[in-house]
Amino acid sequence: MYDFIEPALFAVLTIATIASGAGVVLANRITTSALLMAFTFLNVAGMFLLLGAETVAMFQVLIYVGAITVLILYGVMFTPQSPRAYGLFFQTQKWWAAVLVVPIAIFVALVSFSFKDSATLAPKGGDLLPLATSVFRDFAFPFEVASVLLLAAMVGAIVLVKRDEE
Amino acid sequence: MPVGPFGIDPAIWAPLRLVIAVLLAVGLVFNGALAQIYLERKIQAIIQDRLGPLHTGPWGLLQTFADAIKLLGKEDIRARLTDKWFFLAAPSIVFSPMLASYVVIPFAPGIVGADLNVGLLYLTTLGSMTVLGIVIAGWASNNKYSLIGGLRSAGQLISYEVPQILSLVTVVLVVGTLSMVGIAESQPGWQLNVLVLPLAFVTYFIAGLAETNRNPFDLPEAESELVAGFLTEYSGMRWAIFFLAEYGEVTVVSSIVATLWFGAWHGPFVEVFPLLGVLWFTLKTYFFVLVFMWIRATLPRLRIDQLMSLCWKILIPLTLTNLMVTAILLLVFPTTVVPVAIANWILLAFFVVALPYVQRRRLVALRERLRTAA
Repeated sequence: MYDFIEPALFAVLTIATIASGAGVVLANRITTSALLMAFTFLNVAGMFLLLGAETVAMFQVLIYVGAITVLILYGVMFTPQSPRAYGLFFQTQKWWAAVLVVPIAIFVALVSFSFKDSATLAPKGGDLLPLATSVFRDFAFPFEVASVLLLAAMVGAIVLVKRDEE
Repeated sequence: MPVGPFGIDPAIWAPLRLVIAVLLAVGLVFNGALAQIYLERKIQAIIQDRLGPLHTGPWGLLQTFADAIKLLGKEDIRARLTDKWFFLAAPSIVFSPMLASYVVIPFAPGIVGADLNVGLLYLTTLGSMTVLGIVIAGWASNNKYSLIGGLRSAGQLISYEVPQILSLVTVVLVVGTLSMVGIAESQPGWQLNVLVLPLAFVTYFIAGLAETNRNPFDLPEAESELVAGFLTEYSGMRWAIFFLAEYGEVTVVSSIVATLWFGAWHGPFVEVFPLLGVLWFTLKTYFFVLVFMWIRATLPRLRIDQLMSLCWKILIPLTLTNLMVTAILLLVFPTTVVPVAIANWILLAFFVVALPYVQRRRLVALRERLRTAA
């Protein structure tokens, strides 16, 4: 009886994702862009939820909304801002952007319609165990490599900004 | 015609259940905040040897209602140079994740909004979203004090999220599920998790104090140095919504503590009358709410560098060690949690005994260096 709700929610989330994503590149002020980006991430997390990938949705919000966006806002607040609205980098290159975006959009549309008749791949029940098994068993080596890379990046960042101790 | 719960057609019951649940959560938050403000005033008064609210209603019980009506009646002020939309949106961005947290809180057997199998992850996720609202509030106010308050809050919340999640993961390792109902069911009778994982409880409680911006971690709104931090430009109902969110967060953190370490609804006679679980759960939750208030009346505020060094130099190494020890012991002894409990109590004793000693040694060293530098 209420089967129409999920597709309707999905449609709303899709429209909101696209609209806020467009807003990120079209907004005049960098803080507006950052917040719209957080909104985009939230919408994408909502889509993950509707598709049955709860864990991915949670991590999406935890990392991208709770940490990355806040760090970006943090950076923005510490940089001086001109009081007038200024055209951002992307807004001065409309035609180049259009030339790049249209072929990619056509390609994505073609690919997504090719999935129309294939079997559903939604994870059943808790998707936490399959995720954990694939990360810590099947893809343990790439996972470790990525962790070491992140650790190196973190150490590098600390070394770069560290003040000399006399 | 199919018949659902209470003899109601499921087609009507599904949306009705949603409406009832949302209304209940909103009612819980609003009334909980009113009750907690009254309790906070009374408890601070008792600790400071005063009387507290006394004249409005019996024992001053109606004082917070009068204050709420006063706040509702205030003019909605927005300074001209604030950022309109962000300034107006910030209270809701802080409030709505807190309200959404009530979905997974297990009040009694069968009384839970939704038994998500990632319930605990869901709660930490929503907890991390309030930072965004506070940062936006601080930035949109176009005021130096607000901005500093917002930035402090961002640094504090992101730092303390790490020990908080590490403490929660330790419990998840022992219990073996992320579902709040599953965690509650895993502690029948006297097998409370606090007996197995006391250190995780203490570290989570400290991190929870910081996550809810409560004393001694209320630097984002430190009134003696920042006017009112990110709240400076807010007044009336919008200011009240920030405080509703804060008290709601305190309740959520307390109920996480009650669920994870103190067996949620478990208590005498719950098997006979399941509804009694609501009473036990509320009593356990409000006990920790009272501890929050007790701490607020007792401890002085930390300095920002002390706040950061407590998190990064003490809590994170401690919770990481705890997590590693617990994981290894669970691998070695998969059938019993007794070794984990012993290790945890030893680590807790180490934490309680060594912390003041280490702090004193550090102070002595610092004074020594200052003396030689002078």
